[in-house]
Amino acid sequence: MSSAQDERRAGFERYKEDVENEGKPFFPYAMFHDTVMSLVVVSVIVGLACVWYFTADGTEPGLIGPHYVEEADPGTTSFIPRPDWYFYFLFYLLRIFKWPESVVLGTVGVPTILMILMFALPFLDRSRERRLLRRPVAVVAAVLTAVSMGVLTYKGATARESLGSEAVAAVDAWSSQQGGFDETQRSGAEVFAQVGCLQCHIYLGSGSANVGAPELSDYGSTTQRTIEQTAAYIRNPAEFGNTVMPPFPGLEDAGVLDDVAQFLHASSGATGDG
Amino acid sequence: MATTAPRRRRRQSKLQQAVDIPLDWLEERSGLVGATKYFLFRKVPRDSSWWHTLGSATLTAFLVQAGTGLILAFYYKPDPDKAYESIQHITNDLTLGWLVRGMHRWGASVFIILMFFHMARVFLFGAYKYPRELNWIVGVLILVTGMLEGFTGYLLPWDQTSYWATVVGININASAPFLGPFIAQFLRGGAEIGTDTLSRFYALHMLAVPGALFGLIGLHLYLVIRLGVSSPPWSSEGAGRDRAEVKPTGRAGLTRGRRV
Repeated sequence: MSSAQDERRAGFERYKEDVENEGKPFFPYAMFHDTVMSLVVVSVIVGLACVWYFTADGTEPGLIGPHYVEEADPGTTSFIPRPDWYFYFLFYLLRIFKWPESVVLGTVGVPTILMILMFALPFLDRSRERRLLRRPVAVVAAVLTAVSMGVLTYKGATARESLGSEAVAAVDAWSSQQGGFDETQRSGAEVFAQVGCLQCHIYLGSGSANVGAPELSDYGSTTQRTIEQTAAYIRNPAEFGNTVMPPFPGLEDAGVLDDVAQFLHASSGATGDG
Repeated sequence: MATTAPRRRRRQSKLQQAVDIPLDWLEERSGLVGATKYFLFRKVPRDSSWWHTLGSATLTAFLVQAGTGLILAFYYKPDPDKAYESIQHITNDLTLGWLVRGMHRWGASVFIILMFFHMARVFLFGAYKYPRELNWIVGVLILVTGMLEGFTGYLLPWDQTSYWATVVGININASAPFLGPFIAQFLRGGAEIGTDTLSRFYALHMLAVPGALFGLIGLHLYLVIRLGVSSPPWSSEGAGRDRAEVKPTGRAGLTRGRRV
């Protein structure tokens, strides 16, 4: 029918003819290469395992990381969430998009588009041409993909988030910048620093805009909510249509939910002389 | 002396029979001997090279993961109260436990890297073009499934890194429109990450995802064997190259062309 299709078919027929007439048997020729390469792969894996094991000691990191870190503790979230390296690009992508309008672009939009492009590639590029110099679009796309993946991975690997324990030390500074906290607000601030709010929110320069969550430094002076509504929001954001922020029912059980809400409502940005 | 030669011959033919009879039996009932012969002695383009070893290298890394994963499963306990302890036990107490766990841990990264390298090779060779489109799609599915295997495996050591990475990962899933909250709920097995989440991730990591990977890799290999691998695009003797133009000699139209 279409001549392009005929050409493709004829090309594959020629391929089969050439392989039949000029090709070499898979065993032993190609299999030799495969075997050598596989031995290299296994050696690299064993080598990495040895370097990892013999340079690290339990939770003490060696050249390429510790054997394990402390046991998981859902109670104290003062820990940097860090995926395995091959998710760094996705991890960092989330910081590029701003909360809340476009964060879905980072978490779902861009990855979905990339997936569709990958699946659709053989249908988008239907020419028979395989030589790189005659495929400028493919080469540019490949270089751009490799560079952007590399940059995002590097950025994700080197992104620094403040630890909860460091943030607790900053509570004094927050207090003076916000014009002084009372005891309840101070308690709320300490809980806020420890339970991981700063993993996604920025507060007076601490924390990070993970998943693009809003800055909370001036929450009290900008919000329309009452303290009770803020508390309810923190307990279960999904009730208010926010399915990105995780629920914090544990704060209510511990009796500190209201403190956190009080603290947030006492925050009006850097008004003090801090 | 005269009797030894026929005896040796008889012994040899008995030996031959001992090999042939079971093979013939197997071949008659399954065709597997013929299939293996076809697999081993099929022709590949004569200019296929080290570039073409990335796929089988990825397969090797996957098999390392399957083997070490099986051994780890003998000792690992998918329970939040015991998981961390069993990881320590594997690493510190078992004979060569550190090696098996270390190979599984680093093999995962090697597997992912090799998938990307293999994919880059196929892309640069234009090897996803007709008639290998479907195999590219299967390959992308393997990549996605492989990364899912990485995501579900990351939680299992139940240390702070794995726990909080999974919290963030599940929250990212939850942010997807429509299906997101349901996927997150399914992965967590409840409102918060706990016992049910760990056993769920273990089941996915040990059965569902690797099962899918085995199936997809089998399909991938079937298509590779059926369609063959493509020559490097720069090769002057590449299989399927365009034929030199046929120039008529002598009186045009009356004699057959000669290939130049």
